[in-house]
Amino acid sequence: MRGHGNLLGLYVPGRSVLHRAPLWLKVFMSLALSAVVLAARVPELTAVGLVAASLGLTLGARTPAAQLFRTVLPLLPVLGVLAVYHVIANGLLPAFVTTGNILTCVLAARTVTLTTPGQELLDGVVFVARPVRVVGGDPERFGLALSILLRSIPYLAGSLLDVRDAARARGLERSVRASVVPVVINAVAYAHRTGEALAARGLGEDDRPEDPGA
Amino acid sequence: MIEFDRVTVRVDADAGAPSGIDGQRTLLHDLTLSLQEPRIAIIGANGSGKSTLLKLINGLVLPTSGTVTSAGLDTRRRGRDVRRRVGFIFTDPLSQLVMPTGREDVELSLRGRIKRPAERRTAAENVLRRFGIADLADRSIYDLSGGERQLLAIAVVAAVEPSILVADEPTTLLDLRNENRIRETLRGVADQLVFTTHNLSFALDSERCLVVDGGRVAFDGAPTDAVDFYRSLCAA
Repeated sequence: MRGHGNLLGLYVPGRSVLHRAPLWLKVFMSLALSAVVLAARVPELTAVGLVAASLGLTLGARTPAAQLFRTVLPLLPVLGVLAVYHVIANGLLPAFVTTGNILTCVLAARTVTLTTPGQELLDGVVFVARPVRVVGGDPERFGLALSILLRSIPYLAGSLLDVRDAARARGLERSVRASVVPVVINAVAYAHRTGEALAARGLGEDDRPEDPGA
Repeated sequence: MIEFDRVTVRVDADAGAPSGIDGQRTLLHDLTLSLQEPRIAIIGANGSGKSTLLKLINGLVLPTSGTVTSAGLDTRRRGRDVRRRVGFIFTDPLSQLVMPTGREDVELSLRGRIKRPAERRTAAENVLRRFGIADLADRSIYDLSGGERQLLAIAVVAAVEPSILVADEPTTLLDLRNENRIRETLRGVADQLVFTTHNLSFALDSERCLVVDGGRVAFDGAPTDAVDFYRSLCAA
């Protein structure tokens, strides 16, 4: 099974300015940049946002340009379709603003995920999720679920490529069924295995003392 | 110390599979055992019930009837506490590792014990160093070899210092060099090791060996005798 964490913007160890910056500052800057471009919806700010997010990743996080391109590559088909629709429906500038803003938000979010170790991110989520205790929720479990979600993305991307190769090897590259069904089955099996692994390690279980008499 | 007292495990039979009582299939039949030896091997054919027997030990599977006691705790009533004392190693380490890198996975194991992130990070590094895989700490788990992944999976479980370690065919996917390395590593992780294997030389590396066949313990005794019994069972 192949993993594709870097393609999807998961943590890459390093010693850049952003790697050393506190999580709250990175999250604040990422949210602020996204909020400004989304609220303004003007081409000038979209361009500034794109440049700022790209510079943040290349200079701030020392991400090589080629890797930066690879991380946005999976998004390009969707953005392309969106851009064509907006060019036809609304014109060139609205198309640039809409797709540019989405790309800015994604790049801004990746400055956080690329430069923050999973456990630090988990600590941050657990901290932010503390209010769920009021309604009987468990912040640790909430954070763990989010971490597992992030970890699952590269696994599923790898599964997709493995299944595609297997279909090619059998001369079934044009068969949607041969490509989609095994991915779905793999995803369900993966979820089952992950659940079993978490249970075996006692992760995500209630911290309250058990009642031996129950 | 692990005790099985009249343990039976039944599951709903799959469509088309042979079934017994009320459409259910019995995976283990009325098992009574007391496991005290430091290293216990379990051998048997595929589908004989070995893995179910292992999963009963840390409460991943609960008995349909009877009781299982691990480290002095009933797995049904004290499941969470049992899992904190009984570590489980899966055949495929990728099933076990849930974080993108080894360091993060060991840190995840330690979250319940060490609240301060800096201390946790140091403790995780110490665990990885102890298993000779500190240099792999920040590598993606997908970039590791099978042997490295299995070592990491053991480190992840060993981080919480279990008193009992249960390993389900831990060397099945490994080459000979890595198999030897894993066998050596498993020796010192916990007070008691219970493992299943298809490798009969690995089974001989124990103090007691059970042969499971058709959901029953067909032989229980010295490893050399157990291996002879299993060979004759397979030849029959």
